[in-house]
Amino acid sequence: MASRRKVAAAGKRGPPSALLSPASSEDEAPEELSFGAAKEAAQTERKLVGEAARRHRELLKEKRRRRQELFAEQKVRPPPLESRRPRRGQPPPRSLPSPRRSGSCSPRPCCRSWPPRRPGEGAGPGERCLPPGVRPLGTLARGGFGLGASKGNYTAVRLKDQSVIGLHQQLAKDFLNIQLYGPAANRAQANDFFSLENKKNPVKKAAVQFVDKSWGKYKKSK
Amino acid sequence: MGEFEVHRVRFFGLVPAGVRCLACPPRGSRLALARTDGAVEVWNCAANYFQEKVIPGHEARSVEALCWAVGERLFGAGLSGEITEYDLGRLRASCSLDGGGGPIWSMAANSSGTQLAIGCEDGSVKLFQVVPGGIQFERNLDRRKGRILCLSWHPSDTHIAAGSIDAFRVLDVSSGQTVQRIMVNYQVQKVKRECVVWSIAFLSCGTVVTSDSFGRVQFWDWERGTLLESHTVSTSAVLSLAVSEKEDSIVVGTSTGATYQFQLLPVKMGSLEKRWVRTKPFQHHTHDVRAVAHSSTALISGGLDAQLVIRPLMEKIQKKSYDAALRKFTFPHRRLVSCARKARLLLFQFSQHLELWRLGSTDETGKDGEVLPLCRMPEHLLQLKSKGPEHIYCSCVSPCGGWVAYSTASRFHLYRVQYEGDSISIKKVPKVPKLLSPAYQLQFSSDSSSLFVASARGSVHVLQLLEPGGCRHLHTLRPPSGCPEAVYLLAPSADGHWLAAVGGDWVIHIYNLKCFKHHCMVPTYDCAVSAVAIHPVTNNLVIAYSDQQLFEFSIPKKQYTAWSRTVQNCGLHKLWLERDSPITHIAFNPKNPSHILLHDTYMFCVLDKSLPLPDDSAPLMNQSTLKQLPESMRQRQLHAFKICKKFQPLLFADLLDENCLVMVERPIMDIKTQLPLPVQQKKFGT
Repeated sequence: MASRRKVAAAGKRGPPSALLSPASSEDEAPEELSFGAAKEAAQTERKLVGEAARRHRELLKEKRRRRQELFAEQKVRPPPLESRRPRRGQPPPRSLPSPRRSGSCSPRPCCRSWPPRRPGEGAGPGERCLPPGVRPLGTLARGGFGLGASKGNYTAVRLKDQSVIGLHQQLAKDFLNIQLYGPAANRAQANDFFSLENKKNPVKKAAVQFVDKSWGKYKKSK
Repeated sequence: MGEFEVHRVRFFGLVPAGVRCLACPPRGSRLALARTDGAVEVWNCAANYFQEKVIPGHEARSVEALCWAVGERLFGAGLSGEITEYDLGRLRASCSLDGGGGPIWSMAANSSGTQLAIGCEDGSVKLFQVVPGGIQFERNLDRRKGRILCLSWHPSDTHIAAGSIDAFRVLDVSSGQTVQRIMVNYQVQKVKRECVVWSIAFLSCGTVVTSDSFGRVQFWDWERGTLLESHTVSTSAVLSLAVSEKEDSIVVGTSTGATYQFQLLPVKMGSLEKRWVRTKPFQHHTHDVRAVAHSSTALISGGLDAQLVIRPLMEKIQKKSYDAALRKFTFPHRRLVSCARKARLLLFQFSQHLELWRLGSTDETGKDGEVLPLCRMPEHLLQLKSKGPEHIYCSCVSPCGGWVAYSTASRFHLYRVQYEGDSISIKKVPKVPKLLSPAYQLQFSSDSSSLFVASARGSVHVLQLLEPGGCRHLHTLRPPSGCPEAVYLLAPSADGHWLAAVGGDWVIHIYNLKCFKHHCMVPTYDCAVSAVAIHPVTNNLVIAYSDQQLFEFSIPKKQYTAWSRTVQNCGLHKLWLERDSPITHIAFNPKNPSHILLHDTYMFCVLDKSLPLPDDSAPLMNQSTLKQLPESMRQRQLHAFKICKKFQPLLFADLLDENCLVMVERPIMDIKTQLPLPVQQKKFGT
């Protein structure tokens, strides 16, 4: 009896019941089911579905909350060269945004350190640290209007503070570096390159850098 | 003969700068070379490839292109956006003009050398006129987007081919318009990379040759805009290209250090149709070959491994001789080390700083070939950084070790060094006499009381050193008939009586220091002088020329010595004349007046004038065989040249005292591990 129920429950995916149990005909009466058993079955099913739906809802809520916090953080993050006065009502400045622990959405102050560099970002061409107290021209545009600031691909600086010649020269040198030593250049470390020669020579020699020089550095730092 | 305790020094951390540009004049035998640190050198191909002139670099100067113009004038241009003329007589940058287009990537002179075209960062090609005293802007040619990385004039000076990124253009010089634009980046790769045209050449038949970052050398018909031939020579970029004057041979240099020759050969024997064929591959360099040149008899390449390689072409050599040998130059042909013998100090000259070291010492003795343990290690006493962006021209330490002097392009610096036990203190000498031109060579007198400063126009300044720390200008010695070139070698005598000065015109003048008068001139020899020294006892001037000839001139008698005449009559041994590098330092042993100590990059020699000279049939390097013979048998085989090749590559060798030598070596591998990264080479089985 249980096997037939399973087959019936397989539904559309399984082969039609007529094929599986050719003995059962449509003249037969449906099976006897007790009311209690059916009620239990229906309840468990509802519970399962309910739980799945709740989990799904929780997941969506979590995602939505995270995105909201991200936007809020971007909005609140001040432009890098503002004056050092902390904003009103904000906790005192911290050096870097701390990793999120609680689930609150309140904006946090970040990146008040000097020189103002965001973690993982180097100076782009033409970016220069201005002395404290000097406002760059583009300060108003950033953060003030609540626009989601980009990840920091640009910085507004005064051209008077740096020479255009130096900027052009740096761009040219960067182009040359990327072409010759960039990702497509297929360069080898000196150690690997020359060790290969040593090993392939008729008179075989040891690898060029036999000792790892970084050992000494570690000891010194200790 | 002699047993010496050898101080084997390997702590001179010299890393020569890589070769960035080469310029071969169409007629003439002087090769101009520019390095990555901005130094410009002139090599004389006729004088056995001697490094004749060196203009030290500058922090702000980067030379991306070098060319010879009319009147043997040398021009360079770089990423600073300026075109600089180099004064080869005064060894400095004489004038510079801003190009007005941002960083300059390329420069080429027309066939007569009267016009210069520059390719700029902003995509414009500008023309300049070479006028007496400098250059003058003429006009702009058509400007398009894309930096111009390479330029070439058509031999008739009517058109210019300019290579950029993904394309190259042909411009008509008279109208200034772009008459053809050809794309080189027809994609054959899966990855969409931009194709950088690194170098270009315009042949008189209307073919444009380009080399690009995909490792291809391509031949184009510029009028029709079609590709005639394409050769893939390498998987990495082909960075440089040079065409011979007859336009039948091309040499290209790649990022992997390989150079290839292409030749225009007939398709079949006797047929008129010709094709470009890749003929000879060479692997002389380990790092990128950024500069190549094609002279009438040789392929010249310079790499970022600081080597200059000259490969003579066999078909151009009449007979088999040393002219056909491969020449490789890594180290400069001048001394970068000075030695204070009594104080056992060494001064190392780098491009922007000096290092003063004290040699170690040992208490033990041993047998031939043994390594003795040190009881005191060599000490790094001082590091003197030169202020400012200019690189150092020359430096010297006095024999007592108490004075250190060096010169940059604009200033001359003198320091007083004091030793109190183990500690050292240094004080700059204020108010040094202002010299109009940089000091090209500095030499202290043997009693450390005067300093000789080699200057422009053949003149030498004599400065008197005063205790406790001052100096004043005593006299300026000048050659009687004037000299347009600067003095580059100085040799004072040990008794302080004589001074020999060699100018860029290769004439050696000898001055009497007691009365500050010109004494005499050594008879001229048509080759560059590579080293001079005056014997402490006999006051004979020993001269080594860059073609490996040796002369000895007696100063009191004003004529060549008898030994020198014998040497010239017999001739020097063939192997001695076929050495690769010139002699850069000569020293003497006061206890053995007949000994002369010489060295070049690959050997150290003690020349014994009392012994017979070897003829060509005798082996020149016979020290090892002599050691194995018993004493009685040696007499027959002894000859004057005692050569030791154990210490290589040698930058400096000198005699400290009676039986103590110092040898400063610089192993090539130590340099190569500090150079920029080389291209990965996949080798079978690894």
